[in-house]
Amino acid sequence: MSNSTSPSGLSRRTFMTGSVTAAAAMPLMATSPKAAELSPARAAEPRDLSTISLRINKQAYTLALDNRTSLLDALRDHVGLTGTKKGCDHGQCGACTVLVDGKRVLSCLSFAVMNQGREITTVEGLASADGELHPVQQAFVDHDAFQCGYCTPGQIVSAIGCIDEGHAGSEDDIREYMSGNLCRCAAYPNIVAAIIQARDEIRRA
Amino acid sequence: MNQAAPVPKENQGEPVVRIDGRLKVTGQASYPADIATANVAYGVLATSSIARGKVSKVHTEEARAVPGVLDIVTYGDMDETDTPKFGNTGASSIGPLHDKTIFHEGQIIALVVAETFEAAEEASMLIRADYEDEPPSASFDSKGVKVEPAAGKSPMLQEDVKAGDFDAAYASAAVKIDQKYSTPTQHHNPIELFSTTAMWQGHQLTIHEPSQNVTGWKIELARQLKIDPANVRIVSPYVGGAFGSKGPMTARTAIVAVAARRVGRPVRCVVSRMQAFNTQTYRAETRHRIRIGAGKDGRITAFGHEGWEVTSRPDPYVVGGTSATGRMYNYGSVLTHVSIVHADRNTPGYMRSPPETPYVYALENAMDEMAVALGMDPVEFRRINEPEKEPIGGKPFSSRSLVKCYDQAAEAFGWSKRDAAVGSMRDGDWLVGMGCATAIYPTASAPCAARVRLTSDGQVRVQCGSHEIGTGVRTVAGQMAAERLGIGMDKVSVEMGDSALPPAPVSGGSISTASVCSAVLKACDAVRAKLFAAAVARDGPLAGSGNAKLDMEQEKIVASGGKSAKLSDVFKVMQVGAIEEYAEFAPKGSTPEALKKLYAGQAEFHGGDQDKDSVKYAFGAEFVEVRINSYTREIRVPRIVGAFAAGRIMNTRTARSQLMGGMIWGIGQALHEATEIDRRNARYVNRDLQDYLVPVNADIKQVDVILVPEVDLDVNPAGVKGLGELGNVGTAAAVASAVYHATGKRIRDLPIRIDNLIS
Repeated sequence: MSNSTSPSGLSRRTFMTGSVTAAAAMPLMATSPKAAELSPARAAEPRDLSTISLRINKQAYTLALDNRTSLLDALRDHVGLTGTKKGCDHGQCGACTVLVDGKRVLSCLSFAVMNQGREITTVEGLASADGELHPVQQAFVDHDAFQCGYCTPGQIVSAIGCIDEGHAGSEDDIREYMSGNLCRCAAYPNIVAAIIQARDEIRRA
Repeated sequence: MNQAAPVPKENQGEPVVRIDGRLKVTGQASYPADIATANVAYGVLATSSIARGKVSKVHTEEARAVPGVLDIVTYGDMDETDTPKFGNTGASSIGPLHDKTIFHEGQIIALVVAETFEAAEEASMLIRADYEDEPPSASFDSKGVKVEPAAGKSPMLQEDVKAGDFDAAYASAAVKIDQKYSTPTQHHNPIELFSTTAMWQGHQLTIHEPSQNVTGWKIELARQLKIDPANVRIVSPYVGGAFGSKGPMTARTAIVAVAARRVGRPVRCVVSRMQAFNTQTYRAETRHRIRIGAGKDGRITAFGHEGWEVTSRPDPYVVGGTSATGRMYNYGSVLTHVSIVHADRNTPGYMRSPPETPYVYALENAMDEMAVALGMDPVEFRRINEPEKEPIGGKPFSSRSLVKCYDQAAEAFGWSKRDAAVGSMRDGDWLVGMGCATAIYPTASAPCAARVRLTSDGQVRVQCGSHEIGTGVRTVAGQMAAERLGIGMDKVSVEMGDSALPPAPVSGGSISTASVCSAVLKACDAVRAKLFAAAVARDGPLAGSGNAKLDMEQEKIVASGGKSAKLSDVFKVMQVGAIEEYAEFAPKGSTPEALKKLYAGQAEFHGGDQDKDSVKYAFGAEFVEVRINSYTREIRVPRIVGAFAAGRIMNTRTARSQLMGGMIWGIGQALHEATEIDRRNARYVNRDLQDYLVPVNADIKQVDVILVPEVDLDVNPAGVKGLGELGNVGTAAAVASAVYHATGKRIRDLPIRIDNLIS
């Protein structure tokens, strides 16, 4: 995989390398003398770093990543977009669902380096700039389509994909095409009701 | 209004939208592994490949050579800490890096810390260990297990309950059954992975970890690390599903804390789905023998319930649900006995609804068999055996609306249209079956503290160290304050999930709403008292209304005579900007030490069968329709109806969602969930979400929840019974009864799968 960057969005690119979260986090002091003694300042360099560019929620990011870094870990640990969740890291739960060029993708099963030049949309990119929720987000609130909320970003992104694919025609279709997104709190009937409301609203728009 | 927001009936609160709903749908709710952490290093566990024996050597050289590896914590590195303790706060007494004994497969043997997650994961796979292994005992019937009576071994089961002369009554009963039932190993599998992030600032340790018990963990972690609890903070503002799995702290927390101290930077360890099966708790498999004897009139004269549960070698974990099954109906006599079976397994723990799910399943499946044996309608059979008082101690129920639940659920379900003859209801290729069962869960509460602040501009802040695990407790705590202080929900904020907040008990056993709301109520009443005193004082805006009844609504203090005063005017008189009150709630009957124990992280539960004056339970009735394909034996549950009475319902929206989720859990218990064990190696086989089946969207169709009005001020000041654990009790038995009705096959061992129905 080359390190070339996508030509689009160059002018608006936000250059970021390494962990964005670092900027937002609290400063952390070194600890007891014992810690220093046990751990001689070891500048351990991970191997196989590539510098890559990703477009996420219409913003460009340049990241230095291990080639093995999944898109999910890139989003969470390197870009600081932790709305996308890790539930299994094996493509079995759907909590990490994002849209890549408008299609639902399990970000835990996709290496970050494979996604250069593609448009990635996460749950953070759904509400409008003025804070108005996406119809699917609003419908999830209206229908109490979550309890703990952990699978919710994946459910919402997946629901947008499901509606867009034309797989939200009936309740049975929705159940079938949303079955890749597990909800252990089991809000399923509410999720189906929410998707119907959002589908109708999106159709009307 | 929609289905998710049922119209409140008597003693039911408004279906207020979740206070954190917007945060959850925008990805802004920060779960513990989401917390932005500067300079964080990544930890990955290495675990044992054998289930019994000793580790003779751990080889870490290859792992250390992986670029980016910072440290490996293994045997010897925890020697300066104390070993974990088994109990309400600690998951197990097994200190995996303190002792080279292997008690179960997948026991932690090392923690690798590296610059990146990828490097840590690679290195963890290069850790090798030499073992002196011994043949393990996997489960029931395995050679080498140790069986012992459970009573007295655990606070969960102090004694085997009994009443009357069971042997004589059973021997002389006109109609009787004697059957065995079983439930499989199950893992909670919340979708959020377990994780620990540890960071030191000087001597202060902060742990971000999903928890149902931040105060308890603070105390226990400080004990293990031999540091002052004042220097430990556990933070867990959002929890991505818990179901009991995040109640007890596991050995990992201290290991990650030690790792962070060693490398001098924060360490985050997110445990893989597979490793969680062995390093966290689970519901152990259970076996039951049930004997029921009755007269021809259907009155039960004898009830016998024997239970067996698997636990680890060192820890006497037991759930012992005979306390509830022994009190369920008007039995003439009761005999119970619970045994624990020590095997080479990790220590089990609470899983949504610890004692009742397996034990009531066995009872209710047996009740259906008994109804068949008597030739009696199963609803009628339960009605006939409805008790005036519980049979063990002869105490009254504080309230018991079971018959109402059966009536309302049966009507909504259309039970009267059921043809009782087995296999008589058919729809094309589908065999139709209908069944029902009782849900019961003890109503308890525990000491809890809360702080409420009201500012002169009408903003309310509620603080309580309870835990939002998806139940909606953050919302209902806010609702309680909003109602009591006459403020709109949009001006209320609620802080939870932090051991720096006023302490709350473990969020388990359906105690949170009752305990938290009772404390918030008390704090609000203290705020009101201050405001009321100022309002009616000589210089107050309601001077002269001293004898009037005062209330708060719409940011005003309203007197019974009709006069009212704006909040801001009362604050002006008081010359303060805010009133803040700290309140402690202790349930009726608490010991003098109960509140002290709250601060020590030891919740003292009251209620259930523990109180002197009455026993306290919430009840429900569930009706299930199953459809079984006559060719493939595929089993479907097209609809399920549950009616539940649980005292005051704070919020019909969150209550309905909890009960609905519980009933779907029950369908999962009945048809899907089971951890398979390789009996030769005492090893879990299906350690992921592909092979450990949980209900998915396509498994669930119509789920109807009926909230039956009930008033019970005996249980606690808030009048709340709690219902998070109620919905999935009994469900599996209702499914088993429906399967029997459709096919004539009585399946007694869960889960019920296609292969059980192929003759």
